[in-house]
Amino acid sequence: MQADKIIEKELLNILPKNRRTDPTGKRLAELLTRIAQKKVPVNSFLRIWTLGSLQAKVTAGYFAYWLRSRFSDAGEKQRLKSEAHLAAALKMFGTMGYLRGAIMKLGQLLANLPEVVPEEFADVLAALHFEAPPMHYALVREVFLDEFGREPEELFASFDCQAFAAASLGQVHRARLHSGEEVAVKIQYPGIARTIKADLRNLRLLLQPLCLTRDWQNTLDNLADLEQMLLMETDYEQEARFGKEARSIFKAGDRVVVPLVYEKYSTKRVLTTEYLQGCHLNEFLARNPSQAQRDHFTHLLTVATFRVFYRLRWLPADPHPGNFIFMDDGSLGMIDFGCTRVLNDEDWLLSWESIEAGLDRDQPRMNRAIAKTCLFDDPREMSAHHLKTIREGFEWFMEPWLQEGIFDFGDRDFFRRGVDNFAEGVRKKYTRCVAMSLWSNRFTFGGRAFCYRLKGRCEFRKIFLQEYAWRKAGDM
Amino acid sequence: MRISEQAKQENRARILEKAAEIFTGKGFDAATTRDIALAAGLAAGTMFNYFPSKETLAMTMVTEALDQGQSDFRRRRSGKEGLTEEIFLFVASGLRRLRPLRPFLGPVLERSLSPFPRKNICPQGEVAHQKHLAVVQEIIVRHGFTQAPEYVAMTIYWSLYLGILAFWANDESPNQEATQALIDYSIRMFVQVISGTGANTGEAHAG
Repeated sequence: MQADKIIEKELLNILPKNRRTDPTGKRLAELLTRIAQKKVPVNSFLRIWTLGSLQAKVTAGYFAYWLRSRFSDAGEKQRLKSEAHLAAALKMFGTMGYLRGAIMKLGQLLANLPEVVPEEFADVLAALHFEAPPMHYALVREVFLDEFGREPEELFASFDCQAFAAASLGQVHRARLHSGEEVAVKIQYPGIARTIKADLRNLRLLLQPLCLTRDWQNTLDNLADLEQMLLMETDYEQEARFGKEARSIFKAGDRVVVPLVYEKYSTKRVLTTEYLQGCHLNEFLARNPSQAQRDHFTHLLTVATFRVFYRLRWLPADPHPGNFIFMDDGSLGMIDFGCTRVLNDEDWLLSWESIEAGLDRDQPRMNRAIAKTCLFDDPREMSAHHLKTIREGFEWFMEPWLQEGIFDFGDRDFFRRGVDNFAEGVRKKYTRCVAMSLWSNRFTFGGRAFCYRLKGRCEFRKIFLQEYAWRKAGDM
Repeated sequence: MRISEQAKQENRARILEKAAEIFTGKGFDAATTRDIALAAGLAAGTMFNYFPSKETLAMTMVTEALDQGQSDFRRRRSGKEGLTEEIFLFVASGLRRLRPLRPFLGPVLERSLSPFPRKNICPQGEVAHQKHLAVVQEIIVRHGFTQAPEYVAMTIYWSLYLGILAFWANDESPNQEATQALIDYSIRMFVQVISGTGANTGEAHAG
C-alpha cells in the first residue's frame, strides 16, 4: 500500500487547511489517516479492486474536505456535530465503492484538475482511468450470450480475451470482424445501472444532514440530473447514436475522427466501433512531442469541441484523457460519447446570452446572465462577493475567446487562476446553479486541464469564429 | 398390459413437458399432480409410477438442466481459466440452462435444496446437490487450493450457491444481470477464503 501512503501525503500537502480552526493541518491529517486506515470494503475484500478503491479514497479525501469546508465558519458544537456526520458519511462512502460507476466518475473529474494537485499526482490519477478492475473472460462471455446469443469467438473472427482498456462502466477488448476490420468492443459490467442508483441514493442520504440549507433543493435537483446523465451512459445504443451523428459532421480534412459504429455488433451493453490506432495523452506526452505537435492537437481538440457544440448543441461533458486518441497519422480520435449533454432551447439561449455578453464585455448583461445561471431573478439578489466570484470565473472562461492570435493553454498562471476561482466558489458554497452549468463547468475544466497538461496553444478565437459561422441554421 | 420401454420414455418426456407448462402457467404451488396427469393423458396413479411427487418432477427438470449446464461447462472450458473464472463459468452455464424453468423455480429449490435436514428428502434434490459439489471439488483440486478443510469450503460454497439461486429466482433485472454481478462477487469471495491469502484469484489480467 505504498501508493496509498504517497497519495495520503500528497493529499495533505495539497488540501487547503482551515486557517482558523486547523492552522497546522493537524486535524486534516488525522482525518486523512482515518480515511486511509479505514479499509474500503472492496479493498480488503478483493485484491483486484485495489486501484478502484485507491481512487475511491482520493475521492473520499476531496469529499471530506468539501464537507468540512461547509462548516468552517460554524461554532465548535456545530463543527463536532458535522464531523460526526462526516464520519458516518465516510463509512457510507466506503460502501459505495463496491461497484464502479459514480465513484469512478467523480474520481475522473478530480483527475482532470491537475492544478488542484501537483502534476505528478494528476498523472497517477489520469493513469487510473485505464487500469480499472477487470471482468474475467467468463463474465464477458455471459454478457455476450445474453446480448447476442453467441460467444465472442463465434461473433468475431478473433476476440482478445484480455481487455486492453478500462471504460468507466466496463472494459474494452480488441477484436476482428469476419470481414477483416479491427474493432474495439466496449462491454459493460452487468447491473451497473443498479449500482449507480444505489450509490446516488446513498449519496443523498449522507448529504442530507449536512445540507439543510436554502440550496438543498437545488442540490437534490442537480443530483437527480447527475443520476440521469450517469444512467444515460449505461445505454450504449444511445452512445452509438451519438457517435454516428458526431461522425457525420467531420470531413477527412478536419483530421478529427469519430470511429465508425458497427451496429450489428452493438447492443445496450456492448458497443463495437472501429479501432483507432494511436495513443492516449500520457503516452503522447512521454514521447516528448514538439511544440508544433502539441499545438496541432490543441487546435484539433478545439475544433472538435466547438464543432459538436455549434452544429449539434452538445457538450461533450466528460472530456477526460481516455476519450481522446492521438492517432498515428496526426488525427485526433474522439471515442466516447456516453456522457453527452444535449442542450435544450432554454439552456442553449442562456449559454448564448452569457457568451455574447462576454464577447461584448458587457458587464450588466453578463451579471444578468450569471444571476439566471445561479437561479436568481436579478443580480441584485446576489451578494456582491457571490456575483463577483462567479463573474470572475466567467471572465476567466472567456479569456481565450477574446484574445486575438495564439492562446497558450499551457500557461500555468492562467490555469491556476481558473482553479483558484473554482475553489473559492466551493469554499463559499456558491454551488447553486442550473444543472447545465455543472456540465459546462465539467466540460470547461476537463478540456482546459487536458490542454494544460498538453501544454498546447491554438488560435482559439479564430476557431470559434469559424465554427460559430457553421452553427445550425436559425440559431442566433 | 406391459408397455414398451420406448412408450415409457415417451410418457416420461410428455409428463415433464406438460408439467413445465403447468408450473409456468399456474405456479408451482397451485399446480397439482392431477392437472399434470390430465394434461399428459395419463391416470394419476400411472403418473406416480414415473414421478412420486410434484417436487421430484420439478427437481428432475432441474437435474436435467444442470446436467446440460455441466456438459456446456466442459465444452466451453478452455483450460486457461483461473479458479475464480472456472467456477464462474460452471455456475453461469448451469443457470443459463435453468433459465427456462425460472418462472416456477423459487419454491421448488426452496423445498428441495434447503440445507436444513428434512423429513422427506427429495432424492433428486440430493443428487443435484452432490453432483454440483463434485464438479466444484474437481475444479478446486485442479487448481490445487487446499487451505480450508473440505467440509468448510464446501459448506461455504453451498451456502453461497443457494443464496445465488434464491436471488436469481427473484431477479427482475434484464437477463438477470444483477445475479451475474452477485456470482462474480460471491465467487471472488469464496476463492479468497479457500486460497487463504487471496494472493491468487486466478485473474490473469488482474494487475
